[in-house]
Amino acid sequence: MTAPRNDRALLRLLPVAAGILVLSAFLLGVQGAAPPPPPEPEPGRPRADIIRIDGLRRFGKLERPAVTYLHEKHTRALAARNLDCLACHLPAEKALSTKFKRLEDVSREQTMAVYHTHCTGCHRETAARGEPSGPVSCAGCHQERPVASSWRDIGMDRSLHYRHVKAQENRCEVCHHERDPATQKLVYVKGNENNCRSCHREEPVEKVRTLRQAAHEQCIDCHRKRIARKEESGPIYCSGCHDPAFQAKVEKVKEVPRLLRGQPDQTLVKAARRGAPPIDPAERAAVVAFNHIGHEAYVDTCRACHHATMASCASCHTLEGAKEGKFVTLQTAMHRGTAEASCIGCHNAVKAKPACAGCHAAIPVKDPPDVAGCASCHVPRPEGLEKGADRQAVARRLLEARSPVRATYADEEIPENVEIKVLSRTYEGAKLPHRRIVKALAKGAAESRLAAAFHRDPGTLCQGCHHHSPVAKKPPACASCHAQPFDPRHPGRPGLQAAYHLQCMECHRHMGVEKPVATDCTGCHKEKR
Amino acid sequence: MSISRRRFLGWMGAAGAGLAAGGRAHAAALPPSGGHPDALGVLFDVTRCIGCRKCEEACNRVNELPPPERPFQDLGVLQKTRRTDARTYTVVNRYEGIPGAKGPLYRKIQCNHCLEPACASACFVRAFTKNPDGAVTYDESVCVGCRYCMIACPFEIPTYEYDKALTPRVMKCTFCHPRLVQGLLPGCVEACPSEALTFGRRRDLLRIARERMAQFPGRYLDHIYGEFEMGGTAWMTISGVPFAAIGMREDLGTTPAPELTKGALGVVPVVAAMWPVLLTGIYAINRRRDRIAREEREAAVAAAVARAEAEAKKKLAEALAKAEKDKKAAIEREVKKALEEAARARGEAPAGPAPGTPGATKPA
Repeated sequence: MTAPRNDRALLRLLPVAAGILVLSAFLLGVQGAAPPPPPEPEPGRPRADIIRIDGLRRFGKLERPAVTYLHEKHTRALAARNLDCLACHLPAEKALSTKFKRLEDVSREQTMAVYHTHCTGCHRETAARGEPSGPVSCAGCHQERPVASSWRDIGMDRSLHYRHVKAQENRCEVCHHERDPATQKLVYVKGNENNCRSCHREEPVEKVRTLRQAAHEQCIDCHRKRIARKEESGPIYCSGCHDPAFQAKVEKVKEVPRLLRGQPDQTLVKAARRGAPPIDPAERAAVVAFNHIGHEAYVDTCRACHHATMASCASCHTLEGAKEGKFVTLQTAMHRGTAEASCIGCHNAVKAKPACAGCHAAIPVKDPPDVAGCASCHVPRPEGLEKGADRQAVARRLLEARSPVRATYADEEIPENVEIKVLSRTYEGAKLPHRRIVKALAKGAAESRLAAAFHRDPGTLCQGCHHHSPVAKKPPACASCHAQPFDPRHPGRPGLQAAYHLQCMECHRHMGVEKPVATDCTGCHKEKR
Repeated sequence: MSISRRRFLGWMGAAGAGLAAGGRAHAAALPPSGGHPDALGVLFDVTRCIGCRKCEEACNRVNELPPPERPFQDLGVLQKTRRTDARTYTVVNRYEGIPGAKGPLYRKIQCNHCLEPACASACFVRAFTKNPDGAVTYDESVCVGCRYCMIACPFEIPTYEYDKALTPRVMKCTFCHPRLVQGLLPGCVEACPSEALTFGRRRDLLRIARERMAQFPGRYLDHIYGEFEMGGTAWMTISGVPFAAIGMREDLGTTPAPELTKGALGVVPVVAAMWPVLLTGIYAINRRRDRIAREEREAAVAAAVARAEAEAKKKLAEALAKAEKDKKAAIEREVKKALEEAARARGEAPAGPAPGTPGATKPA
């Protein structure tokens, strides 16, 4: 029998744990106490501190339902008795262990014993003191108890990162480290900082802890130490980081200085074959100049593009695909319209904003993209681009040579009012304040650097409505394509009436234009008498 | 000789299974629906519907249905979830507070014109017809008013004119079949201002739906409701939110309703047609068996009688022979006795008369 022996082992540990408790309580008393946990949310409200205790899952099927554990409820109860994290978490080499009352994963029986002894033990003691306490029976904890969760991921965005940089006085090594392959020790290499997630994954990889474990140990430990030193500190409770209400309260720095890690200001996008160094731009027929410094301001984290590591795209996404890049070719990695980290995928996400979506929501996403747009990024290799030339300088020159389009036609060239009366039957013609509409769209486009870069012509904006025809000051009439509805020769093409209605209503809906409502017919055209 | 009920049912089941295996059994004699490649349909795009009720109005007009209690311009009726009734072939319902949707969503309800209609499969007088154009139509002249169609329909579409005492009808959308025949669009489709209802050949509509999904990633769920539901329907729906959120059943499965009942119902016409033949056959078999049995019995009896007679004769002969023998022995015994007496009477004289003496013979 193993269980009794484990119990004895734990009993032997008890004095040690008690000693640590007393010591830590003493130290805390000296060094300053943690802020009190936030008040208990009202019953039934979603909460961010739900932990599913199902550690036995790795030993096979669970015999009983996993325990739904509300972390902050316990923190609160312990704080009322002047107890802190150490009541449940043992101090490991560097920080407190995230595991309950143990430092490492132990056997099935030992794991069970740890929880059963300490949970019910504490519940019994508390009840014996006549205070409200938790369950001591099996089913008291082991039951399916759905609790609404408000938990949300938290990332280190630029603002939060900057506040940490400032608090740590530019000592990047406090958080950033890497494993030295020779000594197998964690070292810091200046200029080689990476995303936490590039090593700390969802699942443990060899010795590397999961992101969850690493983040909770490192973040909370540092926050606790700063609190103890009475310095400005971050949250130590679940909701402080993971509850949307608390996340909204996190201070945002508006002007975040640029993060420097040796990245270029402008560069030529690299391309490489598998297992070979990047191809020299001088050997390529066309090149893409990329404004790195500009894009840094558009995204919240480096991770938005450098989704796996901080290396260049081509180091994983080679021309023909490689294992490191999950066989996603460079071409796909840049152009995939539905991918978050691809150029076009990110541009499409921007185009979903109300100012753009009026037109763009109705423009089909093409994968691969329309060839008409290639030249917006891909330009022929410029004259005088020698082998080994300064890529940054070439890229800067190419970017400066671009002529962003910020305006549409002059006012007098835009018809002021347009009356659509070709279909007039029950209703009179619809009077369209054409110029006002164009100006409203142009205002949104003028404010967007993306639009300025990709709207190639002053007439590009017109193509939001006057689509599927070349740019022209006098575009073809809608009726030249949209005729009778449900024409079997063009089964997907809306008839004229639906074409008008869809265009107006969809644009209004996506731009948040509330009036006239779609069902208010007379809001656009008067009823015939 | 009789057959048990159990054995009879066993034969029937086997006959039904044989029919099912032999080909597509169309319960209650449905026409094969897969054979209309140019059948029409309508694709309802939830993302395009604005909830204007123009379809309801047009439906009422073209089908000459009774006027509604509240006018079609009154969008306040959308506050309640409605269903089709005997005066309404189609309704639009509003669904609010759906996660992932910006505002309220609307869904039009009408007969979906199943490829293999449950209503038709349940009707034992063939009041429903699946037409080659895709419409499922109803013939009131043969309807007996059993309302099995209403129970059978998984979409709860057919309704009944309960308020008519003498000529109640089952009422449901006809896909404007009379208009389709004239080359006109269904009333609702014609009236829809935003082509939330796309009309066309069903196979084209499937392609259009897939194209929209590909061209506008994220706008639609990758599911065309009605492509396979209940074996496929002529009217189909695409949506950006789960279909259950807009009141559509997601538990229907892809098996056409007739498929579920064909095993049992497929037997019915067989029973009706084969009954006399079958029973006559069973009767003939039984009769033949009875006759043979009788003949065999008679032959056996005859043989047994013959055998018994022969034995009796033999016994008689033996008995007669024995009697003769006994008689002879008795005579001899008597003769011998008489001779001995005679000899004693001659008495006392020297014994043994000479043979051949006259005194030696004495009449018995």
